[in-house]
Amino acid sequence: MTTRTAAPPPAIAVQALRKRFGATAALDGMSFDVAAGKVTGFVGPNGAGKTTTMRVVLGLDTPDEGRALVNGVPYAKLRRPLGHIGALLDAAALQPGRSARSHLLWLAHSQGLGAKRVEEVVAQSGLGSAIRRKAGGYSLGMRQRLGIAAAMLGDPPVVMLDEPFNGLDPEGILWIRGYLKALAGEGRAVLVSSHLMSELEGCADHLVVVGRGKVIADTGVAELIARSSSGRVVLRTASRAEATTALANAGGTVAVTGPDTLTVDGLTAEEVVRVLSAGAVPFAEVSAHRASLEEAYMDLTRDSVEFRAATAGEVA
Amino acid sequence: MNPFRDALHAEWTKLRTVAGTAWLLATTFLLTVGLSAVSAATVTCDGTRCGEDPAKVGLLGVMAGQAVVAVLAVLAVGEEYGTGMIRVTFAAMPRREVVLAAKATVVAAVTAAAGVLAVLASALVALALLPGHGFTPANGYADLATAATLRAAAGSVLYLVLIALLGVGVTTLLRDSAAAVGAVLGLLYLFPVLAQVISNPDWHRHALQLAPMQAGLDVQATIDVAGQPLSPWQGLGVLALWAFGVLGLGGLTLRMRDA
Amino acid sequence: MPGRDSFLYLVRAEWTKLRTVRGWVVGLALAAILTVGLGMLGPLGSQIACDHVNGAAISACHVTGPPHDATGQEVDDESTFVHRTLTGDGSITARLTAFGGKYFPSGGGPADPTADPTAGMADGLQPWSKAGILVKNGTTFGSAYAAVLATGTHGVRMQYDYTHDTAGPAVTVGSATPRWLRLTRAGDTLTGYDSADGTTWTEIGTARLTNLPRNVEVGVFATSPDFAVVKNSFGGSATNTGPSLATGTFDQIAVTGQSSGAWTVPAIGSAAAGDGGPGAARGPEAVAGAVPSAGGGFTVTGTGDIAPSVPDEGQGKTPESALAGTFGGLIAVIVVAALTMTSEYRRGLIRVSLAASPRRGRLLAAKAVVLGGVSFVVGLAAAAIAVPGVRAVEHSKRMYVYYASTQAEIRMVIGTAALLAVSAVFALAVATIVRRGAAAVAAVIVVIILPYLLAVASVLPAGAAEWLARVTPAAAFAVQQTVIAWPQVRASYTPTNGFYPLSPWLGLAVLCLYAAAAYAVAHRQLRRRDV
Repeated sequence: MTTRTAAPPPAIAVQALRKRFGATAALDGMSFDVAAGKVTGFVGPNGAGKTTTMRVVLGLDTPDEGRALVNGVPYAKLRRPLGHIGALLDAAALQPGRSARSHLLWLAHSQGLGAKRVEEVVAQSGLGSAIRRKAGGYSLGMRQRLGIAAAMLGDPPVVMLDEPFNGLDPEGILWIRGYLKALAGEGRAVLVSSHLMSELEGCADHLVVVGRGKVIADTGVAELIARSSSGRVVLRTASRAEATTALANAGGTVAVTGPDTLTVDGLTAEEVVRVLSAGAVPFAEVSAHRASLEEAYMDLTRDSVEFRAATAGEVA
Repeated sequence: MNPFRDALHAEWTKLRTVAGTAWLLATTFLLTVGLSAVSAATVTCDGTRCGEDPAKVGLLGVMAGQAVVAVLAVLAVGEEYGTGMIRVTFAAMPRREVVLAAKATVVAAVTAAAGVLAVLASALVALALLPGHGFTPANGYADLATAATLRAAAGSVLYLVLIALLGVGVTTLLRDSAAAVGAVLGLLYLFPVLAQVISNPDWHRHALQLAPMQAGLDVQATIDVAGQPLSPWQGLGVLALWAFGVLGLGGLTLRMRDA
Repeated sequence: MPGRDSFLYLVRAEWTKLRTVRGWVVGLALAAILTVGLGMLGPLGSQIACDHVNGAAISACHVTGPPHDATGQEVDDESTFVHRTLTGDGSITARLTAFGGKYFPSGGGPADPTADPTAGMADGLQPWSKAGILVKNGTTFGSAYAAVLATGTHGVRMQYDYTHDTAGPAVTVGSATPRWLRLTRAGDTLTGYDSADGTTWTEIGTARLTNLPRNVEVGVFATSPDFAVVKNSFGGSATNTGPSLATGTFDQIAVTGQSSGAWTVPAIGSAAAGDGGPGAARGPEAVAGAVPSAGGGFTVTGTGDIAPSVPDEGQGKTPESALAGTFGGLIAVIVVAALTMTSEYRRGLIRVSLAASPRRGRLLAAKAVVLGGVSFVVGLAAAAIAVPGVRAVEHSKRMYVYYASTQAEIRMVIGTAALLAVSAVFALAVATIVRRGAAAVAAVIVVIILPYLLAVASVLPAGAAEWLARVTPAAAFAVQQTVIAWPQVRASYTPTNGFYPLSPWLGLAVLCLYAAAAYAVAHRQLRRRDV
């Protein structure tokens, strides 16, 4: 008999969720796990089911089928749930007449926490003295910061944010990116949704790409970029014709992408340099192309008919 | 860690940190005492046994104050639905019926506090004015400060509390403040209007027995108690059935519906 | 006219906004359903009173309601009338030389009916005790008539066909101050005169009694309505009533024109005998009748009234009770009206709306036009269904419905629609000012319906109730009143009994005033405030 330490349950486990709103299927077999210590991007066009999934995770919506677990437990079973998972769904969802601090205070009280914890998250939020003002007068960016402060009240190991970049200025976007990476660095699981992949650039470690209520891709960011970048080399040279012939003979696929630039598939940068040097073809620059997250995303979704349909459906 | 105590603490913090609460409670007090005082100052009893109930005269303001109490209760729930904050609440406290119970408790508590002050002040004004307006032993009103008067006053406070609970329940069902206020005030004010046009004595009596306001205010009767459609505590019981019935229904739908 | 066009576009945009929110459409439909449905509850929840009075089976009981005249107006037509027939044109003149009466000061009837039927009666006339000369189309109940008469405290008057009343000289007639009265007939036209000395005559007024036959009854009469102490301190509900008697002594009776035969003189007690009811012979009716007196005259003693009768709760339904559901419809309309504005603030739509229409006053105006118009149509449809619908139920349950002229019924229906429309604009304005749906709805409902309740169904004295029905928006419910407060009939005309102190349109104007004031403030606020 072998003993085996049970692997810890995923921070968030979404299991085969289905939910219909009237005629439309909001969730159509949505399944993925969110691991600790990483920022997981939850990406897809508007209407892909991201917010509904998050609501199900928080026990706000009941799925028709499937279930969602937080650290292996259904949300409804959590006592003082903000100590298990902190979430921001809609930054505007607060009563405008109450001060931001009072908003945090009642939330703290609901978890058996006191005013001291409120001061701590306020200090991290960067809201400063504005915390005593009525939340109704806040800009969207300030509301996002307030919402993130609220999510952190219980010092949760899991953080889930729905479109936190909306309405933020570039400085704010940088702040959130850094904050999320820091949270993951502390070992927390971070799930952050966005309909724009570019917002997650340099921040997400893992991606769950969804469309039409189901997962299209569930992959690491490095892996995804490597796949998109693999084997593509950009070459700048004045001798386009010679270079094309030489590289084609060496087994590469060459495409002309500019007056003095070529893109080579099927050869590594080192091989390209070797082939050109051997043929004494002059060149100005050889660089291995590294795809942006956006490009990788486009590559990925280009293959997904359903995804395009979802995007088209969203536009229509 | 007691979920109800946490929820109570959170709901109390919520209620006390919006400016509206204090204003509405103050308005409840002013309207109740104001209308009661006007009534006590205008009703006079000439000749023997003019048939008016001094408690109903002196506590008439409850009919106006209850509208403000209803607004307070409706806003306590409806504002959360209107802003979407209800999702924050239910994410923080997933046991929704506990949240509802806590909300109902704090709303009832502040209503009771304002109600005690308002009813007490109204009663004092009435006790000062009414003997000068013919409510004297000579006209058959032996002593105004009796056990029945005390019951009428205490019952009026409970009446306001039950109206608050009715407001919380109706809003939980309807999830919209304006519609809920319309529904609560409709429940309160429409029955007496309809009772006016129903001439069948049995139906008329039943309409008054069923009406949350008319039945509930039977608790204010201090003379001709036997002639009322219901006994004082029975009447308040009818209102309690309304309030807790609707509250229960609200709790049930809370569990079944998506937030 | 680009300005006018763009306003029409705005109205159209607001109409689109209104009809595309399902909840609001449901709310407006609910307004109509409540108005009709709650109105139906009245007759459905009512039974004719005789069921309870006699314990008789419903099927055997048919309430015909109080007697009425040819138009349908409920009337009293009871007097002691000494008369003879006049054929064609002519006149009657008489001198009233004494006028006095008796009544039960504590109300009720004789303490010991078997003894003297007038025992316990005090001397004195009622304000509307009547004695005078009468030209009447026969002696059947409710027939057309014209009269010149003296009253207890309202002077000499000319009255005809129950509802018409013209004041003459404000004199008190008695043995020291006799009075000459004259009525002349020329075709359908009757003219009334009065004179202090029988030589100098003053015309009081004329009456046209259409289709008056050639033969009419002319003569002298006396009657006296019930004595009533209306204790106004308690909603007018406490009244002490009891029968009264009036006695007029006439001489110098002269009939000109073609008149034949002797005077028909009702004997003392004949009215009671005709009445036949138990106890009638022992009441004051037992002493009513006429006896000849000196100078070819008569001493006429009568009890009753010749006048319109005021609806009595137990006998039937008033037309306006069909619209009791208006309160339900009102609440639904108020909620929808308030929401159309507060939802704009809540969702930030107001910024879009104001960007589309920078002239903010016009946005409010467009909303008011749409809401007012829609509420009016909803109210009109609901009232137009409720009134005949409730009437049908009432008829099927053999309930009597009090008379109202077609004109009054149309006014009641249109007025109800206007009441809903103005209330909707009022609610819209209040919602614009407070920007909170719940507060606006509560404020408008409390301001309109609470005063109504306090006025008609509370402990407040009649004076306070009338004041409320005069100065609060609840005054507008006067527009539904079809029962008429007759000046020539003493009754408890309080809001509790369905009588409003203001005339229908004036009452509605009070609500309009409130709505206009709120609208003005809302307009100012909307223009000045940041959104």
